[in-house]
Amino acid sequence: MAHPARIEPSIMHELASQVSDSRSNLWSEIRKNGLSVLNSSSFPTKKIEEWRFINLKPVSRSEFVPIEDAGTLPAIDIEKYFLPESDRSRLVFINGSYHEKYSSIGGLGKGVTVGNLADYADDQHVKEYLNKLVNYENDVFSAYNSYMFEDGAFIHLAKEAKAEAPIQILNLYTDSSKAFIANPRILVVAEEDSDVTIIEDHIGLGDNRYMTIPVSEVKVKQRAHIHHVRIQRDSIDAFHFSRPIAYVEKNSEYHSYTITLGGKITRNEPRVIQEAEEVDFTLDGLVLIDGDQVADTHSVMDHRFSFAESHQLHKVVVNGNAHSIFNGKIFVRRDAQKIDSFQENRNLLLSRDGLVNTKPQLEIFADDVLCSHGATIGQLDPEEVFYLQSRGMTEEKAKEVLTYAFALETIENVKVESVHKLLIQEVYRYTKANSKPKVMA
Amino acid sequence: MLELKDLHAEVEGEGIEILKGVNLTVTKGEIHAIMGPNGSGKSTLAKVVAGHPEYEVTKGDILFNGESILELDPDERAHAGVFLAFQYPVEVPGVTNSTLLRESYNTIAASRGREEMDPLEFDDYIREKLELVEMNPDFLGRSVNAGFSGGEKKRNEIFQMAVLQPTLSLLDETDSGLDIDALKIVSEGINKLHGEDDAVVLITHYQRLLNYIIPDKVHVMIGGRIVKTGGKELAFELEERGYDWLESLATVNGEAK
Ligand SMILES: Nc1ncnc2c1ncn2[C@@H]1O[C@H](COP(=O)(O)OP(=O)(O)OP(=O)(O)O)[C@@H](O)[C@H]1O
Ligand SMILES: [Mg+2]
Repeated sequence: MAHPARIEPSIMHELASQVSDSRSNLWSEIRKNGLSVLNSSSFPTKKIEEWRFINLKPVSRSEFVPIEDAGTLPAIDIEKYFLPESDRSRLVFINGSYHEKYSSIGGLGKGVTVGNLADYADDQHVKEYLNKLVNYENDVFSAYNSYMFEDGAFIHLAKEAKAEAPIQILNLYTDSSKAFIANPRILVVAEEDSDVTIIEDHIGLGDNRYMTIPVSEVKVKQRAHIHHVRIQRDSIDAFHFSRPIAYVEKNSEYHSYTITLGGKITRNEPRVIQEAEEVDFTLDGLVLIDGDQVADTHSVMDHRFSFAESHQLHKVVVNGNAHSIFNGKIFVRRDAQKIDSFQENRNLLLSRDGLVNTKPQLEIFADDVLCSHGATIGQLDPEEVFYLQSRGMTEEKAKEVLTYAFALETIENVKVESVHKLLIQEVYRYTKANSKPKVMA
Repeated sequence: MLELKDLHAEVEGEGIEILKGVNLTVTKGEIHAIMGPNGSGKSTLAKVVAGHPEYEVTKGDILFNGESILELDPDERAHAGVFLAFQYPVEVPGVTNSTLLRESYNTIAASRGREEMDPLEFDDYIREKLELVEMNPDFLGRSVNAGFSGGEKKRNEIFQMAVLQPTLSLLDETDSGLDIDALKIVSEGINKLHGEDDAVVLITHYQRLLNYIIPDKVHVMIGGRIVKTGGKELAFELEERGYDWLESLATVNGEAK
């Protein structure tokens, strides 16, 4: 594969030269596409509207090396991240590479295909959809993933197939002496009347720097249901750029819940594209950040046909010097009537030095729609704190309870019990650590 | 039990003085009523005793069981036995009544050296208290006061009082918003909870409440001071005559009354 021409100094171009030759025609073609975007796009800077609040210099100034030179440590003691419900429906990727040894895929019942994308290069669904759904304009990150990825999770549900257990896609990132880049990839094709729950987990095993660029493509066909939970627990020094995109067909449902806890810089760009009438989708998010973490969510909910119900509750708790950015675009196209869309971004600022930028963005070209949207930025209500204190709770405990209550709402709908518990624990851990007033340097 | 000595308080940082020298002594086993026109400082007085950070005590002292509690945080005052039933109970979405009560009960129990209860015991205990104020157990699973009707909020305050067993209860207009039957139920509840070892301070606008809960003393607060103190017959007199005849007392220099 040729070295990409440099139109601008961009780390993505440089790094892309490290790729080995591909095994299949499909991959070659995908790489070619990735490369052409890399060749024609530049690395984003604050000068670009969509990136004006986020400083990517820590990314562009980092030195990344090929994974084999990164001095990665082995992944040990990883069983604790296995979900009990997904005992026989688990795919494990370490630094983006599939590990059959830790995976277990026997327990999903008829009509459900789960495995490593690389092993399904000849599958008709993979051929039909892989890299065809991902659609981010001039985006060097998804292009880089396309150019680089070898492995990935493939989930296919035949007509009327119901996955008997939630599928866990466990992405582990190991400790390393040098920074590396991982390119996790997911393709989900849910045929008519099928049903599946997917738990996508990203876990940094150390405190090291790495970059992960998860790209997922999801196709939800007629009357199919997908429940997609995405948990980001990357290392505190990691960069996370995720591009999950879902296409929803008639009478289908896609509900996604993204929980952002780790990472130094996170840029999450979930998109849902409506492909026919009568759909129901959710793009909820919970962000809990502290220190100098930056978490940026740029989402798109694209209503292209009538009768859609969509829901986006994006809740953020900011402490320390952390910085949250939210831009939620809701498009309602000209012929899309009877749209019922809810969007709310609620931010809780626990510290004086935290920063929140929020921009809900409605672009409505139809007339018969019901869209409510809003954003709030607030501190804990002193009256609520006093009320709880007057009932005997310490100030610290009262703040903890209130923060916990604020955050909990977004994870209530996560229906896998162990994941729900896990998230409650994560919320609890965050609020416990953050209820004490912090003095910033 | 409670002794307020020339208590002056202002809005923190704004220099607006609201309490202008309150003197009040409440003894163990007593019930006191505080009445007075809107804006006279009754709620402020209750909040200052409970330790609301919005107000700063600029002069005087609050003694609780003989010791100053001015330096105590609101939770420490609650641990010591102070309870405030709010005129406007605060909605706390996301925190259920049962979570609040369990947390509160256990911290207060721990601070008083009482045993914590295990969840089952606590459940029984709670249910018994629910009956006292005839509250539906469904309220336990709901967020504190969120979406409660005005009367339900007031009843919930007394339910919390029943669970936490304070020694000094400041009930700020608990009767406002309660319907006639609820007023009776809640009043009977308060009477049952009240005993030899605790004291109750009722803030109210209506003599009617005092038919159910008979006060030992009635105080009139005007302009940030207690200007008159009497027995329960004072409440009838106020009902009849209003506050006009007392206004002059409020402006007397120095000590009130
Ligand atoms: N935080 C505050 N900032 C400014 N003014 C305040 C504040 N708190 C109380 N006040 C003022 O102090 C006065 C006393 O208020 P308070 O609520 O104690 O009255 P009250 O006697 O309880 O009245 P009501 O019978 O209407 O409940 C009022 O004029 C009120 O506006
Ligand atoms: Mg009042």
